[in-house]
Amino acid sequence: MTEPVPAPTTPATGGTGAASGAGVATAGLATSDQPIVLDAVSRWFGNVVAVNDISFAIGSGITGLLGPNGAGKSTLLHLLSGLLEPSAGRVLIEGRPAWRDPAIYRRIGLVPEREAVQPFLTGRQFVELAARLQELPDPEAAARRAIATVDLGPVADRTVGTYSKGMRQRVKIAAALVHEPPILLLDEPFNGMDPRQRLHMMDLLRTMAAAGRTILFSSHILEEVERLADGILVIHAGRLAASGDYREIRRLMTDRPHTFLVRSSDDRALAAAFLAEPAVFGAELRDERLTIRVSEFAGFTRSVARVARDAGVRLFEVSPTDDSLESVFEYLVSRR
Amino acid sequence: MSRLSVMLAIGTVTARGLVGRRRTLLMLLVAGAPVILGAFLRIGNAGPRPNRLEPSLEGLLVSSVMPLVALVFGTAALGAELDDGTAIHILTKPIPRWTIILPKLVVAGGLSAGLLVVSTILSGALIGGLGQNELQITTAFAVGVAIGSFLYVSIFLALSAATSRGLIIGLAYALVWEGLLAGALPGTQLLSVREYVRGIVSALAPPDTPGLSSVVGSQGFLYAGVALVVITVLASLRLGVYQVRSVD
Repeated sequence: MTEPVPAPTTPATGGTGAASGAGVATAGLATSDQPIVLDAVSRWFGNVVAVNDISFAIGSGITGLLGPNGAGKSTLLHLLSGLLEPSAGRVLIEGRPAWRDPAIYRRIGLVPEREAVQPFLTGRQFVELAARLQELPDPEAAARRAIATVDLGPVADRTVGTYSKGMRQRVKIAAALVHEPPILLLDEPFNGMDPRQRLHMMDLLRTMAAAGRTILFSSHILEEVERLADGILVIHAGRLAASGDYREIRRLMTDRPHTFLVRSSDDRALAAAFLAEPAVFGAELRDERLTIRVSEFAGFTRSVARVARDAGVRLFEVSPTDDSLESVFEYLVSRR
Repeated sequence: MSRLSVMLAIGTVTARGLVGRRRTLLMLLVAGAPVILGAFLRIGNAGPRPNRLEPSLEGLLVSSVMPLVALVFGTAALGAELDDGTAIHILTKPIPRWTIILPKLVVAGGLSAGLLVVSTILSGALIGGLGQNELQITTAFAVGVAIGSFLYVSIFLALSAATSRGLIIGLAYALVWEGLLAGALPGTQLLSVREYVRGIVSALAPPDTPGLSSVVGSQGFLYAGVALVVITVLASLRLGVYQVRSVD
């Protein structure tokens, strides 16, 4: 599922690189048997470079494609779904080029960002249409299952024109799921959903990922990605800023100090002891909170218990304060 | 059977999209214009005017109303769906592209042809009357506009697949290529739907009908048939390399 990544083929943020994360890799692409492979892919529109020399491979599990609006997320998903030809490089779905091969649509389900659904169709008719175009043997039954999966049964016979934004998102997801594809590509899938629908959809995607599906979803909302994704791809201005597990990415940011919040039986004594450690270059005691700044994440976590024991101090809590996805994202984007 | 079921599904959705909209009402008005004019002529002249039949049907229906109706239905059947994003749900399916183009051609061409044939028959009967000769001329025009509708729609489908400016280019084709250039550069008439329709009409109308001539002679059927097949194939091939038109 996860390929080891010694070094990024696409240079990510300085000192960061690509981290091995759930299902995301950027090395050994030429021989990768991952379901989704991008190999040195660029796409430009006239003078505008929307995607710039991006390489990665994605295996089963949930991967979040993260980036600000206009970063190139939709272009990337359109490349993956065969709706755009790469200007350079290769886009492979299960080893086959995505471009000009309608057969890949048996293997992928796409949820486009745009809400557009024929407004005169009922939800059921829309999903049944997808089932018929997938040439499924029993389109009605397949549509019923997909509609039930997204919890849209009670309104399935209303026309899509009367749906809320969240309902339209869900009916598009039902249509993408109707042929039970092993690969799901979702462009901003949670747009317009209320919190309950969002949680339900997240549970659904987790269940599908646990069943071995490869799910790639784009979002500009960090909280969504943080809660759902096993691995992330951070894209900014058309380039891959980082990929892998975001906590691992954070740890690889060696040019930026890591900050830990520590609570202990004697914070002052512990601060003095930490300052003698080579990896620690700052300790701050304020409002009975001890904050330690270290240069190396792993080295600190290995030594913290020993230092406390040697100083005769009991540790109550050690927690990284800047390990959130937001912190990682802001750092990566600010560096590009 | 499966392919037929796919095309039936696409055709049904296309038909509902085209018929359920305001454009159909507008097209009814446009296609109804020759009938209304025919009624005025009939009332004003206190009877049919057989000598006005050919110029009226050719000048109004073949040259103006037919390309306009076909342009609107042809571009709406595909171009509008590509523009508003609904076509993505059909394009991202494992089906040959011709199974998308063909039902759209049948539906949009059928709607155009249906409206225009009714308009031709009613306006022909009002203007020319129900004499045997006039009925034969009207029938010839009805067949011509039916075939011309499908041919125009195939062109506009192909243009929609090729460019987001299908409507403008289609309009330019009907007005500039067929309207202006055909007069100045007779060679361009070989690539003119209007000329093929004139050829079909001249082949079916009584031999002594005045004013009916075409650079394709009586080979209108052949030219129209070959053009329809070639353009439909081109439209399918072009849709096979369709790329979304957005930058993000």
